[in-house]
Amino acid sequence: MTTSVDIRNWIKNNFFDVAPMAISVIDTDFNIVYANNKFERMFGEWKNRKCHLAYKNSDSLCINCKGREAFSDGTSKVNEEVGHDKNGRFTRYLQHTIPVKNDKGEFAFLIEISIDITESDRIRKEHQLLFDQVPCNIMLINREFRITKTNKKIREMFGNLEGQYCFESLKGLDQKCKDCPAHLTFLDGRTHTGHSVVQDLEGQPIDLHVTTVPMDIENGNVDLVMEMGVDITQTLKLEDELKIAYSFMESMIAASLDAIIAIDEKANVTIFNQAARNIFNVSKHKQITMDELRTMLPEGFLEQISSGQGHVYFPEIEVETLKGDLVPVRLTGIQVIIGDTRRGMAISIQDLREIIQLEKDNLEAERLAAVGQTVAGLAHGVKNLITGLDGGMYMLNSGLRKSEAERIGQGLEMLTRNIKRISIFVKEFLSFSKGREIRVEPSDPLAIAKEVVDMYAPEADKLGIRLTFKKKGKIKRAPIDYDGLHECLTNLVGNAIDACKMSDNDERHVIVKAFESKEVIVYEVVDDGCGMDYEVKQKVFTTFFTTKGLGGTGLGLLTTKKIVQEHGGVIEVDSTLDKGTTFRIKLPRKRLPKPVGD
Amino acid sequence: MADKKKILVVDDEADVLTYLTTLFEDNGYETVSAVDGVEGFNVAKKEMPDLISLDITMPNQSGVRTYRQYKEDADLKDVPVIVVTAAGDPMRRFLKKLHMFPEPEGFINKPIDEEALIKMVAELIGQ
Repeated sequence: MTTSVDIRNWIKNNFFDVAPMAISVIDTDFNIVYANNKFERMFGEWKNRKCHLAYKNSDSLCINCKGREAFSDGTSKVNEEVGHDKNGRFTRYLQHTIPVKNDKGEFAFLIEISIDITESDRIRKEHQLLFDQVPCNIMLINREFRITKTNKKIREMFGNLEGQYCFESLKGLDQKCKDCPAHLTFLDGRTHTGHSVVQDLEGQPIDLHVTTVPMDIENGNVDLVMEMGVDITQTLKLEDELKIAYSFMESMIAASLDAIIAIDEKANVTIFNQAARNIFNVSKHKQITMDELRTMLPEGFLEQISSGQGHVYFPEIEVETLKGDLVPVRLTGIQVIIGDTRRGMAISIQDLREIIQLEKDNLEAERLAAVGQTVAGLAHGVKNLITGLDGGMYMLNSGLRKSEAERIGQGLEMLTRNIKRISIFVKEFLSFSKGREIRVEPSDPLAIAKEVVDMYAPEADKLGIRLTFKKKGKIKRAPIDYDGLHECLTNLVGNAIDACKMSDNDERHVIVKAFESKEVIVYEVVDDGCGMDYEVKQKVFTTFFTTKGLGGTGLGLLTTKKIVQEHGGVIEVDSTLDKGTTFRIKLPRKRLPKPVGD
Repeated sequence: MADKKKILVVDDEADVLTYLTTLFEDNGYETVSAVDGVEGFNVAKKEMPDLISLDITMPNQSGVRTYRQYKEDADLKDVPVIVVTAAGDPMRRFLKKLHMFPEPEGFINKPIDEEALIKMVAELIGQ
């Protein structure tokens, strides 16, 4: 009994001031007649103030004043209010308004109990904002795998899913997914992650990285799981594209015939491909350092790249292998700049050794053919001519000395003959050395051979030589200098007839063949004449070499060879002494020159 | 003047044949001639000359092969051969390099130095 009296007294005397909510008593004129400590702490001074002034810093009654309603209908009200605290800041509070009767039974006072909810309201709002605006999908799932709440992002992507089964609405399944991370979280109360492919409103697949966290835990049981999904569709797509691009690049670098070297921004040599290893003679697994690279490349090259803009290019320069050998190369380097950041350097090196060797060989061959052979042949021819002239002079002089008319006549004849020879030589040599540029036009390769055969037919007939033309299949038109090739075949057929003339066989043949095999146009001039021995064969394409005495100048085959070479072709000879000779012209189509005006 | 020394001149150029045979005859030698390698060997076998003047660049078997034939032949291998050619020093070096055969006893370039040739002949077989 005593205890309850004590408590009642305590409540009477102290409760108002220790209560953690603001309590005020208001009369019918809306004057605050009493307020507790908490009230003072929240709203400040209250004595002789109207409630609206104290709560809301307002001079007039509130529009929807709950106190007035309570006075008139006598019921308690609960309302969320926004007022000003004692420092003038907005404050939110939950207000209970309780009408109280006086002794006369009239509602004479209001007791207003206000609970400050400013902070919790702010947190709630922040939470809602975060929940909706965070750039990932968030939903709450209950133990039945029904979605109980979704954020704005989910609503935008998938529509309203609340109340639906997650597996059904997102994936069109009739039961929960096999590797459901939410399920695992329900089981063990821990966070789980997973990868999930769902479909958006337009039926497009979306890759989600999913994290499930337990939310409501009661008696150790998880009742609600929050599932957060991050759309990684674009990331995965980019990742895939990056992978493809990277492996493509890697294969290109590995297969490149040119050396490719890359240096990163920290001056590490990150790429040094097989072609680079070949050029610099570096074994397969050796890691190349920047210092080693510096010794390989021309001095200052790397500095030039890093200081300059654009390509640094050397069409022909030498680099150095680790062993100190010099290798001629074509060299380019560029600074790799991504955005505004220097990310390193890329260097490409073309090995020129083979090309230079080929050029050398070509030059050598041409020099030998054009200069060496010509000069050697010219000298040989000239020496023979001079010997002839010397002979004539000797005969003339000694004849004069001895007064031998016959010898004088012989000498004069020799001189005349050799002078005539000299003039023929000079004319032919001039025409050969001047040459003429070939003019290719689409020509019928068979027609050329046919024409040459027809031209020689009467002469061959007269000599009793059987001249025939054999064609195998068709030959498409080809860019050929008609007159030039005509001259070649004229020379070869003429030679073949001469070779037959020198043969004692009763039956002598010259066969001209023309055919195409594997894109190569082939002409063969075959005779069963006297043939050639080894030494003659070696010299057939030499200037002024002739086996025909005064009958030839030795320029025919050389001219033929020159024309064939100008067509990108080759001329070959097979010959056996006393058996016959075959000359073969081969013109690969892909090496034929371009027609004039093409 | 009973036994004149006999020289075989092998050359495909008629004018050179005329020149050399006349030159040798004017210097007291008897001459025979052949116009190519094959004939050059046959005539040599038949005539057994004291010396052979041999051209190199000839149809119907070159001088090189004919020279080999001479040096392979028991009767002819000791007959001195003067190679008279326009082929020049490369030919001379080529002939020197043939291991199986001695180099020719003489080598004269065309155009011919008459004095040198006659001197060489005299040294090899006497007047």
